[in-house]
Amino acid sequence: MGHSDNTILEFREVAFSYTRGNGFIEALSFSIKTGEFIGLLGANGSGKSTILKLGSGILKASSGDVRLWGRPIHSYRHKDRAKLLSYLPQILDMNIPFTVEELVGMGLYPYDTPPELNIDQAIEMVGLGEHRTTPLKNLSGGERRRAYIAMTLLQGAGLLLLDEPLANLDIKYQIELLRLLRDLRARRDIAIVMALHDINMALQFEKIMLIRQGRILGTGTPEVILTRDSIREAFDIEVEIKRDSEGPYMMYQIIS
Amino acid sequence: MRIRLSLAVIFAMVVLVTALFIGPEPINPLHIKGIDKEILLSIRLPRVLVSVLMGMGLGASGAVLQGVLRNPLADPYILGLSSGAALMAVVGIISGLTFWGAFTVPLLAFIGALTTGVFVGAMGWKRGGFWPDRLLLAGVGLGFLFSAILMLIMTLSSDEGLRRATLWIFGDLSMTDWAFIPYGTIFILAGLLLSLSRAKALNALILGDELSHSLGFSPRRERLILFISIGLMTSASVSLGGMVGFIGLLIPHIGRFIIGPDSRGLIPLSALGGGVLLCIADLIGRSIIAPVELPAGIITAIIGAPYFLYLLRRRDILGT
Repeated sequence: MGHSDNTILEFREVAFSYTRGNGFIEALSFSIKTGEFIGLLGANGSGKSTILKLGSGILKASSGDVRLWGRPIHSYRHKDRAKLLSYLPQILDMNIPFTVEELVGMGLYPYDTPPELNIDQAIEMVGLGEHRTTPLKNLSGGERRRAYIAMTLLQGAGLLLLDEPLANLDIKYQIELLRLLRDLRARRDIAIVMALHDINMALQFEKIMLIRQGRILGTGTPEVILTRDSIREAFDIEVEIKRDSEGPYMMYQIIS
Repeated sequence: MRIRLSLAVIFAMVVLVTALFIGPEPINPLHIKGIDKEILLSIRLPRVLVSVLMGMGLGASGAVLQGVLRNPLADPYILGLSSGAALMAVVGIISGLTFWGAFTVPLLAFIGALTTGVFVGAMGWKRGGFWPDRLLLAGVGLGFLFSAILMLIMTLSSDEGLRRATLWIFGDLSMTDWAFIPYGTIFILAGLLLSLSRAKALNALILGDELSHSLGFSPRRERLILFISIGLMTSASVSLGGMVGFIGLLIPHIGRFIIGPDSRGLIPLSALGGGVLLCIADLIGRSIIAPVELPAGIITAIIGAPYFLYLLRRRDILGT
């Protein structure tokens, strides 16, 4: 397939618009390699979700190419693609009739023979071991989100595109989920792209893509990318970046 | 899941066999006389089979539809297929058409339901896929139109035609005949197998389009296939014996209590449950004030509505 390096997902000059003639994303190019853990940071409406939906094949680029392992993403059969890539939307239907176990088990749907993880392990990983047979509607918002995450993990794809998976989670679970994903990446050499809007959380990432109006303002480590100027441009706020023994953190102030 | 389904199959068989021997003229299974054999083979057996087939089609298509529309209050009739079937059937009954013997009314009903299904599908189709809300609204809108035309025709028609038409609308199995069974079996089984083969996709669709895409399904294609299966089962059911209400709405909810929401168990269980309920309802309808027969649809609604209201009070059906 003429594909030799370890690039999993590649955007080549991708353009997309929701309404005709009103370009939202224009000529967007970047690539994601195995082992990368990228935070896609931007304000609401900056295009984070659109980029993840284009990357997962839910939306089709109006021009340009989205390639998965070197092949156009829409040339894959749905089932084959699902073994390589999984996507978790930001808005999850919380009012579904399934139990945790039933929901998580759907992660195995693309497979005829189950991959390495089993349902119980996936449920344990997100700390829902006691709630295996609990209907989702009886859980808290954060627990439900973790059940969906367990389903995504069970799907066992090499690329996870997660849209704001930390939203509505207690800080404890935000940190635990980040740790869990890092471990997973280290063990299985997968790539993870996670949309987020919390600048302080972004500081925990090794690599950040800062997004504004469908464009990439910069890609690199938070220290390099997150400057007063770039944050002003991306978020319309003034910040002060401070540092203590634990590492950097941000102080926000509102521009009047 | 397997064990519960097997128990349900055994229970269904017991009910069906029992239903053969009960009726206005009870038959002793240990001592079958000549006339009994005649009643058994040419009246009871086809009737039991038709009621089971219809109930299966309605129960299964209800379970599928509630998933496809992601709406626990959906009933296969909400798509307007039954109104289309009723309109055509009543036109046939009132005008006394008999171009195809006993098959005329079922055939007209089947054509009415399928045509309506195609039309509702076309209305609900936009940008290369079905939109559940559009489907639902198209079905409701078309249903109202057909009901109005139906009422108009019935208002203007003579007494005898009117009585038979009314019976048909409420679900009348008294016209059943062996001839209906092969055709009913083919369409209902085809729809059932089609929906069962897509049961995983249906589970994924309940999570939403984006997640079903991520899990390896094309939401548009799956909805189309499932809609076709619903169309086949509902059209065939309605054409066999009229509009039997509540089975398509109620049975999937009972099924969820027994076996859970996984479509791989829920679809077959709803088919069995629908078959059993309609068989019992028809048994009651033909026995309770014999020789007068009550349409099975009235009995299912009388049993079904209070139970449904009870479920509503328990709030389980709305998931809150």
